[in-house]
Amino acid sequence: MWYFIARRVLYAIPILLGVSLMVFLLLKLVPGDAADIMIPPEAPREVAAMIRARFGLDQPVHIQYLRWLQSMATGNFGTSIFTNQPVASELFSALSNTFMIAIPAVILGFSCGVLLGTLAALNNGTWLDKLFSSVAIAGVSLPHYWVGMVLVAIFAVVHNVLPGQGMGPEGFPASWEQIKHLVLPVVTLSLIPMGVISRLVRANVLEILSMEFVSALSAKGLRTRQVLLHIMKNATPSALALMGLQFGYLLGGSILVETVFNWPGSGSLLNLAIFRRDIPVLSAIILVLATIFVVINILVDVLQALIDPRIRR
Amino acid sequence: MLTEAEVIKRAAAGKSYWVRVRERLLVDRLTLSVTLLLAMIVIMVLAAPVFATHDPTISSVMARLKSPGYEGHWLGTDEVGRDLWSRILYGGRYSLLCGVMPVFFALLIGGSLGLAAGYSGGTINSIIMRSMDILYAFPSILLAVAICGMLGSGIGNTILALTVTFIPPIVRISETVTTQVRSLEFVEAARASGARPLSIVRFHILNNVLGPILVYATSLISISIILAAGLSFLGLGVTPPDAEWGLMLNNLRQAIWVNPLVAALPGAMIFITSMCFNLMSDGLRSAMDVRM
Amino acid sequence: MTQHWTGRCITGFVSMAWLGLAATTGPAIAQGTLRIAMTASDVPTTTGVPNNGFEGVRFMGFTGFDALVMWDLSKADKAADIVPGLAESWRQDAKDRKKWVFKLRRNVRFHDGTPFDASAAIWNLDRTFKQDSKQFDAQGSAINRGRPAYIAGNGYRKIDDSTIEFTTVRPISYFPYVLTTIFFVSPTAFEKAGNWAEFAKAPVGTGPFKVANFKPRISVDLLKNPDYWDKNRIPKLDKVVLFPMPEANTRLAALRSGQVDWIEVPPPDSIDGLKKAGYAVSINSYPHVWPWVLNQAKPGSPFRDVKVRQALNYCVDRAGLVTLLNGTAEPSVGFFKKTDPRFGKPVNEYKFDPALAKKLLAEAGYGSGKPAKAKIMISTSGSGQMLPLPMNEFLQQSMKQCGFDITFEVVEWGTMLVAFRAEPTAPQAVNSDAINISLVSSDVSMVVRWFFSENSTPKGSNWGHWKNPKFDELLLKMESATSQQEANQHLTKMHETLVDEAPWLWIVHDGNPRAMTKTVQGFVSAQAWFVDLTRVSLP
Repeated sequence: MWYFIARRVLYAIPILLGVSLMVFLLLKLVPGDAADIMIPPEAPREVAAMIRARFGLDQPVHIQYLRWLQSMATGNFGTSIFTNQPVASELFSALSNTFMIAIPAVILGFSCGVLLGTLAALNNGTWLDKLFSSVAIAGVSLPHYWVGMVLVAIFAVVHNVLPGQGMGPEGFPASWEQIKHLVLPVVTLSLIPMGVISRLVRANVLEILSMEFVSALSAKGLRTRQVLLHIMKNATPSALALMGLQFGYLLGGSILVETVFNWPGSGSLLNLAIFRRDIPVLSAIILVLATIFVVINILVDVLQALIDPRIRR
Repeated sequence: MLTEAEVIKRAAAGKSYWVRVRERLLVDRLTLSVTLLLAMIVIMVLAAPVFATHDPTISSVMARLKSPGYEGHWLGTDEVGRDLWSRILYGGRYSLLCGVMPVFFALLIGGSLGLAAGYSGGTINSIIMRSMDILYAFPSILLAVAICGMLGSGIGNTILALTVTFIPPIVRISETVTTQVRSLEFVEAARASGARPLSIVRFHILNNVLGPILVYATSLISISIILAAGLSFLGLGVTPPDAEWGLMLNNLRQAIWVNPLVAALPGAMIFITSMCFNLMSDGLRSAMDVRM
Repeated sequence: MTQHWTGRCITGFVSMAWLGLAATTGPAIAQGTLRIAMTASDVPTTTGVPNNGFEGVRFMGFTGFDALVMWDLSKADKAADIVPGLAESWRQDAKDRKKWVFKLRRNVRFHDGTPFDASAAIWNLDRTFKQDSKQFDAQGSAINRGRPAYIAGNGYRKIDDSTIEFTTVRPISYFPYVLTTIFFVSPTAFEKAGNWAEFAKAPVGTGPFKVANFKPRISVDLLKNPDYWDKNRIPKLDKVVLFPMPEANTRLAALRSGQVDWIEVPPPDSIDGLKKAGYAVSINSYPHVWPWVLNQAKPGSPFRDVKVRQALNYCVDRAGLVTLLNGTAEPSVGFFKKTDPRFGKPVNEYKFDPALAKKLLAEAGYGSGKPAKAKIMISTSGSGQMLPLPMNEFLQQSMKQCGFDITFEVVEWGTMLVAFRAEPTAPQAVNSDAINISLVSSDVSMVVRWFFSENSTPKGSNWGHWKNPKFDELLLKMESATSQQEANQHLTKMHETLVDEAPWLWIVHDGNPRAMTKTVQGFVSAQAWFVDLTRVSLP
């Protein structure tokens, strides 16, 4: 087991190196560097040169890459070209804001998904199954940014029961006001995991139901509840793994929902950085999100291997 | 995934497998009606000039954001007074294009890479699969957004970005299936009898690998449509004056307070189309008896 | 950081428990707190050199800081002009017209209690102009010098504790206007902070508000400064909170759901509804142009021919465009507005006249079989860009009738800025024949900035490389004029040339609409890019 984990973790290193190289090359495709966009032509050349030098833009490409890699590896993500603030602090506060909606969203999506999927499978073929299955399929087919807009229109503007933008007051402990700000973005964000997980759970439960041991259990006269428990035990690992992956997708994919709700998370930071070509912020955020995704993947693999030892190859 | 017995069964069955798939599909009313609806959408969209009642680019300042039924605009008008019905038809061309093309390209590229990796194994397999792992490290929307954000907006870049996004999962699936099939006895036998690699691939592997990949690809189209529209929504996708559902949604959302119905229409079209693709994929999956 | 992070996560978990429940109570707000939603995508830099364009200066310049020369924002009925700020008075040297003497206001103190005097002023100028000073701020310097200052190398010095002298590169009759966007901060506070990134967290200026609680991308507070030097401009409000909200729909939702009291630029289509729902909507006439800057340098550009440029100007249905914008803009037929005394009497009075446009195009050699083809670079959004997509699509259609075949190169705002700062023939321009970029027309210095041939890119901001010897000659005369009257005479003639030679397609002047709740009192919609928040009050 330890050997499996170690191998899995070590393997992440070349992957991350590849990722960093790709991010860097992508950024080099940008027409015009960040200094071009920030420095008006009236500014004297020396000032422009100073800014370029400060961000290392005057160096050859491979040196720029190595320097950048070094700064990423040491967790010093450099300085934002626009705000002149350290990227690290901006990035981490943005990430924590995204976690704040992504974690509840994935939990909500997981609970609803498991519930809908199980109920659908247990009522296989009936109208209940059709209803729950259509809810699930709608969850994966809806453009969620559009749903967000509609939710804001209904709940924030027409009925004015929930705030439609921003994250409200800061600080801890959580106030009622903060929680209200979370509701709409969390619900919107939970649609996709809800759909995906419920479809998986339905399929898994159906499969387990069709297996012989379940019929055997029923035949042995076990009560429905115990049979159910057994089904859950068998269906949970894959659903949990999927939940982990969905969480990763939510982190990367929150950009659309954050735009709709003006949520100051990593997605809106990414959008902003693209918009103004703030390369230090842009590179850091893509790399960090990708790293988190890789780590989640490792965790999921390890978790699955723990539950089902056959996976350890 | 496939069990050996199943594959052999299918291979032995030959044509009759596809016959059975067709039979199963023909009795699946939901899949049939969804496919029919989808076919209708595709035909209407492709033949947009026939079905459109107006020029989709002609605007009228006096007739902006009118509700359905306004003076010859049976679906109403958009924010600069263009006929919404005609816009939706013409817009569908780009939306479907952005839905289908990336999946098609990804299928071509990813499918061949996966086949190559799975069939050859060894170093080639490692090289292909390890580079895919790198692409896999990006959550899909992030990768698409990053590529479009760097290369700039436009339909070509949108398709490129989504293609890159979809290649890794397709490679993975085709590689897994190919590896499984490759090790089966009848393929080994073909190899031993000195058949050329290409013909082995064509006759034995392709036959067994195509099903799962196709099923997976149809479900990707739904994601592709939503993502492409999402990119346009962020201002990174299709550029005006081309009509595209995501872009229309982006422009019309300013009008959600003035005429919510009109503003919601492009979103509804995205929803309906992507739902159709999802349901069709489900139908195909059960008909082809593919487990993912 | 970790603790903070955990806290937020727990907040997220707790919210799960409450999900589905919704209370109807609104947030409690301290009295006298005005909440404003800006169009900027971020909180403008708080270091006294605001970024995010002139909107940044509007909310993060004249609020927390003062300039030597400021704008009189107390009147809505005429174009705003300059008034003394941190300088009490100034005068141009009668003999050497490159020298200007500024008398500083006495007894002005920074928010930290240290005095504002000539040494502090020089220290601040060094921040922008002296590259080896420890307070030199490269980014800030780029912004400050991007709004051209015309100050010669070492062109400023302290004469005594309350007098400083500037030397300009050439005689600049409008020099005081140039100083309106250079703000002054406390040197002591910078010494304490150590660098500008730290200073940004607790900035110290002399302005009517104190900047506090800076949360990047989320909000920033402006607190009342009860000791402000101008007793007439001590804020009536206790606090202003600024929120960046780049999405027009988000701003609208925020206003309508009571999360803010004031929004900049509501979507034009929402204005009727806002009025009906009891919000106050102000549409302001302010010096802003939304043009196409025409490329004169690219070989093959149809706009090298003045006849084509004029034809283009006769081919815009400006009234229709204003209707499209729900009256939030006014037609533009020149750099200045038609009511401006400096507008002059140009030969061409542009209106929508397809027949005349066709005639002019025919004279230039274009006809029915040969449309005038042009590619315009437009952005998807951006500061002051209004609604670039529908507006340009409308123009495209209106121009079709006259024989123009217009196509678009759609780019993001950032890409457009890069292109606008490069030469019109550079690859960044992607072969465009024009750029649709909104530009400031606040004062004379801007005429020089956009149209003087010596300011052609990449040296300056004349992107189209338009060059007109007569105009340049008038411009130099205007710069060396000895009286306001004489300068204005030349300026009027310059403007007439601008209209007739049409280096730009004049389209509309933005009305910078803003909407606020009826409880917001005392707001004066000055004819300027800036607003005076000190007059505003809440019941």
